Amino acid sequence: MANRQKFQVEVAYARPDVQVIIPLEVEAGTTLAEAIHVSGILEQFPEIDLAKNKVGIFGKLAKPETVLREKDRVEIYRPLIADPKESRRKRAAKKEKSVQAPAGRGAES
Amino acid sequence: MLTAILVMTTLAVLFGLLLGFAAARFKVEGDPVVDQIDALLPQTQCGQCGYAGCHPYAEAIAKGEADINQCPPGGETVIRALAELLGREAKPLNAEHGEPKGKTVVEIDEQACIGCTLCIQACPVDAILGAAKQMHTVIREECTGCNLCIPPCPVDCIHIVPVEEEIDTWCWPEPETVLEYSSLEKQK
Repeated sequence: MANRQKFQVEVAYARPDVQVIIPLEVEAGTTLAEAIHVSGILEQFPEIDLAKNKVGIFGKLAKPETVLREKDRVEIYRPLIADPKESRRKRAAKKEKSVQAPAGRGAES
Repeated sequence: MLTAILVMTTLAVLFGLLLGFAAARFKVEGDPVVDQIDALLPQTQCGQCGYAGCHPYAEAIAKGEADINQCPPGGETVIRALAELLGREAKPLNAEHGEPKGKTVVEIDEQACIGCTLCIQACPVDAILGAAKQMHTVIREECTGCNLCIPPCPVDCIHIVPVEEEIDTWCWPEPETVLEYSSLEKQK
């Protein structure tokens, strides 16, 4: 095959109010960061700071210099608001309470 | 005598080549009934029919293992379309598999999400964007409202929201749109 093969990838970013998936044709050897720059998503969402926002492919964190494969969905993530540790502590406390109650599990909701 | 043999052989070879070329050039992609059935199904991949997704259900219908009235999201329109395709009698939806309800999507409560990725793994259509310890966000356009992400969530932060019918979200009653969509998909 030709050494400059092109294929489709997507660049995606999501907020609760708006989500975008930008289809993109890139050359083989394009990295994740390059695809993000080419997509123009940074202009569309000025709040994205690649130094802070983590990136990945299909739900897995990846380095910006990762070379893309065909049909990859490049994703730009946002940080969590809740603290997972704090949240876990709260859930544990809740569980203890519901164990004491006669209604056992499934007491919430 | 020799000329006759030569002429016949040349002709045979020529026609053979012609037929071989035609067979390759005008090859008709077999359109198995499974694909036709699958194209009518709503592609929610919700599993309410008892199969792992729309395509497995289509296979089961084609084999005669499943009935055509097991798809609640598709509702009556899909049953009628399937009945027409397969030359069977349309029948009411089997209530065992659930009831048709309006289109819904899910939303993630950002205050509660702990970035565990369980919902992402459960989503059959990759409609949740997120990674480990990163915020998870539902891509509304992709969400089919199958609700399969709700049970795995350890913090119960996923909620169902109905999609109101507006000009942006309204569409023709399915099969038709599904058919169009799937033909578009195939062109890709």
